[in-house]
Amino acid sequence: MKALRGILACLLICTLMAPVPGTAATPAASRNRGASPQQLEGDQRILQALNRFTFGPRPGDLAAVRAMGLDAWFEQQLHPASIDESALNGRLARFPAMQWSFRDLIFRVPPNPLLRQAMNGRMNVPPSGVLHAVYENGIYREQQRRAGKFNPPAPAGPPPATQPPPETGSPAAGQPDAQAMALAASMDSLDGTAQSDAILALPPQQRLDRLAAMQPPDFEAFLRSLSPRQRQQLTAGMAPGLAEAVEDLENPQRLVVSELLAERLTRDIYSNAQLQEVMTDFWLNHFNIYLHKNELMPYYLTGYARETIRPYALGKFQDLLEAVAHSPAMLIYLDNAQSTGPHSLAAKRFARASFRRPRLRRQQPPGLNENYARELMELHTVGVNGGYTQADVIQVARVLTGWTVERPLMGGNFLFNPNRHEPGAKKVMGKKIKGHGEQQGEALLHMLASSPATGHFLSQELAVRFVSDNPPPALVDRMAKTYLASGGDISAVLRTLYHSPEFWSASDYRAKVKTPLEFVVSAARATNANIENFQPLIGTLNQMGMPLYGCIPPSGYDWNAATWVSTTSLVDRMNFALALAANRFPGIRVRFAPENANPAMASPQQQEAQLERLLIPGGVSISTRSAALEQFRSRWANAMPLRTANLTIRPNGRSAPPTPLEREDQMLAGLLLGSPEFQRR
Amino acid sequence: MNRRFFLHKGAVALAGTAALPNFLVRSVLAETNAHPGRRLVVIFQRGAADGLNVVVPYREKNYYAMRPTIAIPQNRVLDLDGFFGLHPSLASFKPLYDAGHLAIVHAAGSPSMNRSHFDAQDYMESGTPDNKSTTDGWLNRALQAEDACPCARHRQEHTAFRALALGAQVPLTLAGRIPAIALNNVNGFSIAGRGPAFSPAAQAFEAMYADSGDRILHAAGDQTFDAVKMLRDANPAQYAPATGANYPNTAFGNSMRQIAQLLKANLGVEAAFTDVAGWDTHQNQGGVNGQLANRLADFSASIAAFWRDMGDDAGGITLVTMSEFGRTARENGTAGTDHGHANVMFVLGGDVKGGRVYGKWPGLADEQLNQGRDLALTTDFRTVLGEVVTHAMGAENLNAVFPGANLDPARFLRMT
Repeated sequence: MKALRGILACLLICTLMAPVPGTAATPAASRNRGASPQQLEGDQRILQALNRFTFGPRPGDLAAVRAMGLDAWFEQQLHPASIDESALNGRLARFPAMQWSFRDLIFRVPPNPLLRQAMNGRMNVPPSGVLHAVYENGIYREQQRRAGKFNPPAPAGPPPATQPPPETGSPAAGQPDAQAMALAASMDSLDGTAQSDAILALPPQQRLDRLAAMQPPDFEAFLRSLSPRQRQQLTAGMAPGLAEAVEDLENPQRLVVSELLAERLTRDIYSNAQLQEVMTDFWLNHFNIYLHKNELMPYYLTGYARETIRPYALGKFQDLLEAVAHSPAMLIYLDNAQSTGPHSLAAKRFARASFRRPRLRRQQPPGLNENYARELMELHTVGVNGGYTQADVIQVARVLTGWTVERPLMGGNFLFNPNRHEPGAKKVMGKKIKGHGEQQGEALLHMLASSPATGHFLSQELAVRFVSDNPPPALVDRMAKTYLASGGDISAVLRTLYHSPEFWSASDYRAKVKTPLEFVVSAARATNANIENFQPLIGTLNQMGMPLYGCIPPSGYDWNAATWVSTTSLVDRMNFALALAANRFPGIRVRFAPENANPAMASPQQQEAQLERLLIPGGVSISTRSAALEQFRSRWANAMPLRTANLTIRPNGRSAPPTPLEREDQMLAGLLLGSPEFQRR
Repeated sequence: MNRRFFLHKGAVALAGTAALPNFLVRSVLAETNAHPGRRLVVIFQRGAADGLNVVVPYREKNYYAMRPTIAIPQNRVLDLDGFFGLHPSLASFKPLYDAGHLAIVHAAGSPSMNRSHFDAQDYMESGTPDNKSTTDGWLNRALQAEDACPCARHRQEHTAFRALALGAQVPLTLAGRIPAIALNNVNGFSIAGRGPAFSPAAQAFEAMYADSGDRILHAAGDQTFDAVKMLRDANPAQYAPATGANYPNTAFGNSMRQIAQLLKANLGVEAAFTDVAGWDTHQNQGGVNGQLANRLADFSASIAAFWRDMGDDAGGITLVTMSEFGRTARENGTAGTDHGHANVMFVLGGDVKGGRVYGKWPGLADEQLNQGRDLALTTDFRTVLGEVVTHAMGAENLNAVFPGANLDPARFLRMT
């Protein structure tokens, strides 16, 4: 069998009419581990840069960089403000709420804690309009939840292709229970269907007003009565703001989570300032925060990416570190917001109060929380071998007392509360911390950001992300030197990386296995996918063990192959590749425009070569190519129609069913995206 | 010698001659046995569970002094032996303890003083505290040691499912020379549909990965296709949970349910691993109710459901739990606990001598605490795991499994 395949492959190669892209995947053959490793050349250099500094090449990227010059392209990527993002901005316009300030967002898309306040009369419900209905519906759901009756209806839009793992503590989507389905059925049998259809037929604004005018129980019943198809029609034809309002009526908390994730994927896939997005992803992982820490965290995270991380992603590390240290998201995630100096004014007041009020004596006096202090050193700056002890952790925790968040539901800005700050001098890693109060924290951050250990720790992490799982120590040292010399300039460190021979070593070509996020995003980019529904991608990432903002511990995900190559991940990758290419994800469309529309004219080899150029411009091995073509051999030999057992295309309002040639393209494309070569970058 | 080969030859030989060494006859006969040896289930509680509120030393006066808002009141613990009591959320553990299946080891854990979650987890998973250079896991080495032992008690041919992790990744515990598979969804574990035969797409992928020169992906591909085929043939979906086995609908509950499915499908699982997160309770940890209570309810209900689900096969199972370190004995300033030292481990098994709390209790008086702040360590976790792997896997060379630990079977707790 193997021999047969080999012969076939040989035949295919010999008869290829279109030129085959560079037969890559064999650079290791001429490996040279000497002082000057063999260097990549020509297109392989460009592909190396595209694979490392972007989320994967799109069709046409190779040619564009070739025309522009690689060095010029890289410098442009280091200056994202100069890059045209009009296409991206068009897509981001679908998520208006993601541009709102925290204060606006929390008021207009009220999270569960705010709804509970409104329910208990501690805040006024907006008197009228859609927002009034948003609060009334939310309060009703909260009451139902309290009574143990509430099962949220299935999310609007098509169901996710893969079931995300149930998230403890998150009021995420569930399935309607039997009772609800019975209720829906009874509504149907009365006048439900006719009534629903009438509402769905209304023009967008009237439709929204009609939904907002419903009493909360009626609205819930109406939602439950809808078929999946009708649910999709609920927001059909609506401008983004109106569609958001409908989701707001349904479940504000869920709206924020789904747009937060969709917005992040939109940027990763469609941004032209790819290096900025790659580095934003890198820092979001370095300064990891878990989405479901509490119900407000999704709200804080919208600003975390936008204001805390992205603006500094290519700037000075100290600015980034300070932004993170002042971010409500991090202060809450790592519990510093509650940490209180044991000798602070606040602690003394508590002691006095508990002297007068015996009830308070049963409470622990407010005190230190070491969580952020430890991770600030271990994960964010000097690294676990950075030379600190448990005593230093306590000192850092004392320094950072008072760094907290003002009343979250009233704005949630950073606040330095001097009453909570532990008075007195502090010494960290043998150095006295200068100043007092908030200045001490600033001095500490400066000390950590300018430490050589931090430069080395960050350089190592960057080299693992951009070069290989075991980057050459000489390269890391050179990057760390640049870090110190440039005052912690991230762009300067990346420039050193780019201009180092180690980065262009032929032995590290395709050395990195893609993480699930890199795989999914690179597949969407390679296929030029038009994505209106991000749920299938979000579900796939959940299933592959890399949910966005879903890493619970503060370490973030790691970048090593060993973590991401497993039986289950290969199965998931192959299935995702086939489903994406065959347009089986609702709301995601890919199209492989055939150069030659006449099937009789297209040789299978031409078809395959064209797809390979499109999807994997670096090329695949002969064995991969022949395995992909093998299954079509008998059909081509006998002019039989393609077996399409796995290619059931769901009906789709917009596009016509694929032609037999398109189906073949889809299958070939799916095989290429699931191939070993596409798992690497 | 490769035992797979050895057993195969042995089976052939059996037909021809009666002059076989006793252990070989036993081994070959046991291959058809309905109870294919012992199986080990390992559970990692990531994030450092607060052992002092899990198995509560409710007679310790200082326990209540140190934990004014989060302590479990004496009248709420589920008494075990007049000194320790279970957190009330562990109610489903109580019958297992009373029936003598569940043993508890208190003040156990890693001797490393490292308080980093990530280093401490690595140390516990590699089984070599404070040694960063270990790249494989203790459970993988235990399987290797089992292979090296002529009196190995597992009698099945090794399959792709021998070492199994429920989840998207193979954890360090299972990393190493013996191939381990990761699987996060039994029902989704098929390529391009679930037909009785491989689809053309699946065949193409199989050929691509089989012929790939990519060492890492080639190996993973081989394993993947082996496992997918086995699972398809075994059809584990037919093993619905037994009556009364009510798994919580949580990530951990689903993992335990699927481990039971795979064990019951006789796929050759010898060692299964899964983990459960959410124990890092720095803040607002709660007492009888709250954050930790919810975690514990999920934890115990999932394990109890698993035990019940396994029914008659439970006798051949040993289950052990661990967490990277414990938490501070004193409550911190935010009604939680910070990173501490010793913790509590659970060992559940058909022939575990349960119904007892093992280990020397170090006390909670201020001067008895580790570094003045944590429960002190009296039992190295490797002592517990060493006994478990000796018992469950017949691994004899404990120096290979836990290098540097100098485990002495004479000092085992004798739980088995």
